[in-house]
Amino acid sequence: MATVTIQVNGRAVRAEKGEMLLAVLRREKIDIPATCNHEAVEAFGACRLCTVEITRDEWKGWKNYVTSCLYPVEAGLIVRTHSDTVIELRRTLLDLQLARHPRTPLIQQMAAEYGVLKTSYEEAPDGDDCILCALCTRVCDAMGFRAISTVGRGHGKRVAPPLDQPPPDCVGCLACAQICPTGFITYKEFGAGREIWGKQFQMVTCTRCGAPTITREFADNLAARREIPREYFDVCDACHRAELAGTMGRIAQWNREEAAR
Amino acid sequence: MNSRLVVRPNLCIGCRTCELACSFTHSADGKPGRSRIFMLDGGHEKLWVTVTCLQCDDPACVKSCLVGALRRNEQTGAIELNQETCVKCMACVAACPFGCAILDHTHDRVVKCDLCGGDPACARFCPTKALDYRPIAQAAKKAG
Repeated sequence: MATVTIQVNGRAVRAEKGEMLLAVLRREKIDIPATCNHEAVEAFGACRLCTVEITRDEWKGWKNYVTSCLYPVEAGLIVRTHSDTVIELRRTLLDLQLARHPRTPLIQQMAAEYGVLKTSYEEAPDGDDCILCALCTRVCDAMGFRAISTVGRGHGKRVAPPLDQPPPDCVGCLACAQICPTGFITYKEFGAGREIWGKQFQMVTCTRCGAPTITREFADNLAARREIPREYFDVCDACHRAELAGTMGRIAQWNREEAAR
Repeated sequence: MNSRLVVRPNLCIGCRTCELACSFTHSADGKPGRSRIFMLDGGHEKLWVTVTCLQCDDPACVKSCLVGALRRNEQTGAIELNQETCVKCMACVAACPFGCAILDHTHDRVVKCDLCGGDPACARFCPTKALDYRPIAQAAKKAG
């Protein structure tokens, strides 16, 4: 990897050649809005909010607008992150998002930051909180389960398990719900059980204290795929610590007795 | 990796200063974080054991992480959790056989000991040197 120098808002910035522009801008503590970006998954370019203006000296004044999450850095790049056109672009995007998700706090807040307090388009009467960032499906793919996916196209596009049935490949890890930026994906937890995507799971319960940890499916999957002894999952973290303290205590006590002798 | 955090239960007086040092070192948004070090009952009279991440050679937490959020910092030898990558699936919390990856409820994040980037606050504040961060050659000699 070679280090290159680019210009960001009139300032020289060092970056690794080939890394994505958004990562560089975030490292420079420049506030770039984005709803579909997360370090656990590859960049996707769904929300378009991280769009910035780029140019180069040899372009003789021509400019281009690119999603910074998908643009690899190269030497001589000249970037403006908050030019009038960029702000106008982001405002239009947020205006459209606000029309489709009028009651979503994240969108309301991001739009308000760009001065859009009310959408100039017709509000969707059935606007839900799913902004189709696909973080949930991408993180599920990245973790190797591929239990959910986007289905349909255009207006009908949504996230769902296959055939809207409880997904057979889901292990109930809740990564999709945790990564969802708007909290649209919901799950239920009851005692030693959990339900997500219409599928019910039994939790592994600590053999010492009975506390639930992760789902049985997830524990079995991790043990098999990552060669972790399955019995590691049978005890909760607090009881594991107590066990370690007991072992170290026995050794310390033995040392003490040896010293006294 | 030149130094190691040494725990000597026989010197511990059970004051929990290490837990406080940890909490305040890892505070965020003006709130102390959950301590990644635990002062526990050693099972004998006047015996306390501080339990914290052992930074295993073959770590179950790293193996269990399906998004690659846990990586060893080659400089300090500590396994560090990247909060930006973590998706809070709780795999590492469940997988660690010593219970040293934990959920910080206050900040809703998974946390584990990162040796404070090479200068662990718990060892710095320990009044009896029951916790000591020192070069490996020295640590091995004293322990042996």
